[in-house]
Amino acid sequence: MGTTGAFQNIRVRFYLAQRLLAAIFVLAFICAGAQAATRAQSWRIDEAQTWIGFKIDAVGFPTTHGHFAHYSGQVLIDFDRPAKSFTTFTVDAASVEVGSSSFNEFVKSAVLLDAERFPTMSFASTQVEKLDAHTARVTGTLTMLGVSKPFTLTVNVETDPSAKGRAVAFVAKGTIVRSDFGMKFGIPLIEDALEITVKTRALTDE
Amino acid sequence: MNEAAAAATIAWPLSLRLAHWLSAILVLVALGLGTAMVQFVHDPAARFELTQTHKSIGIIVLALTVARLCRRSLGRAPKAKPATRSLRVAAKATHIALYALLLLMPVSGWLMATTTPVRVPTVVFGLFALPYPLAPDLAIYGLARATHVALAMLLAALIVLHVAGALMHALVWRDQTLARMWRKPMRR
Repeated sequence: MGTTGAFQNIRVRFYLAQRLLAAIFVLAFICAGAQAATRAQSWRIDEAQTWIGFKIDAVGFPTTHGHFAHYSGQVLIDFDRPAKSFTTFTVDAASVEVGSSSFNEFVKSAVLLDAERFPTMSFASTQVEKLDAHTARVTGTLTMLGVSKPFTLTVNVETDPSAKGRAVAFVAKGTIVRSDFGMKFGIPLIEDALEITVKTRALTDE
Repeated sequence: MNEAAAAATIAWPLSLRLAHWLSAILVLVALGLGTAMVQFVHDPAARFELTQTHKSIGIIVLALTVARLCRRSLGRAPKAKPATRSLRVAAKATHIALYALLLLMPVSGWLMATTTPVRVPTVVFGLFALPYPLAPDLAIYGLARATHVALAMLLAALIVLHVAGALMHALVWRDQTLARMWRKPMRR
């Protein structure tokens, strides 16, 4: 191949790159427009009705139920386009409550939550699918002990008729395989899988 | 034999009498707690707390038993009251077995605590952490647990035998055997 051929090849590549860039710009504009037109509405979280809990079974030890007292969260709901809905929750690992102070301390220690090194655990949705009138599947990323993994929650959605559409109750359930996040303590006597339940109620003034 | 040595052969030293009764209380509490916490306590936090207390008591029993055996080896035990040979042998065997169990119960418990995959630090009454020399191992843990439970039942049976013997001395034979574990016997 001569110099002319090589030169032409570069020109073709340059042309393609230009077209690609243009396409990306157009796509970005369309997306931004769509986003603006169907912006999901942000709802307040009713803290009195929120519970972020877990349940874990063990051999030779009673099933342990616990919850996190301190958390923050955000709920964006788009009823017309459920896929545009979004949620994120962050809990303070040190706020874990399992029933007594020394048991709390143990659960917070390095072998389990390691709250000193990893003060928070968080979940952020990446996909919301409506399964039926009252159920949605929320897929997202769970970050625990510094490890982020895909995580799926099944969410039961109930609108509160007495609140005239201004309140929605959610009960989200999912199973965490803790060894995926490097939490291997007690396996196999303590189950590797633990159930989490997030109950919350979202409110709006509109 | 001088007078002090003669007195020593009829009375238990104060330190051993105190250690005996302290040990009796701790052992009964540890046995009761150990049984109750696994049989009747279904609240995880309560189970956790009681297990921690149970482990602390066990370690105190271990230390106390070692101290008792050291102190006992320094002096002579009071002479046993005359009895049939078989009763003397039975009493001796029970006493040796009791000492052995007071060592083996905490040691098997410690072995459980160090080999369980659910390794929770044993901080004796919040003061110091017990070393865990062995790595978690489910097979050894299972063995240690079975041993601990079996020895607990044996210990409970031997305590019944020991108490029955003491009561026989006090109520049937009406001698000083039980009394001398309370106080220095009166000279006759």
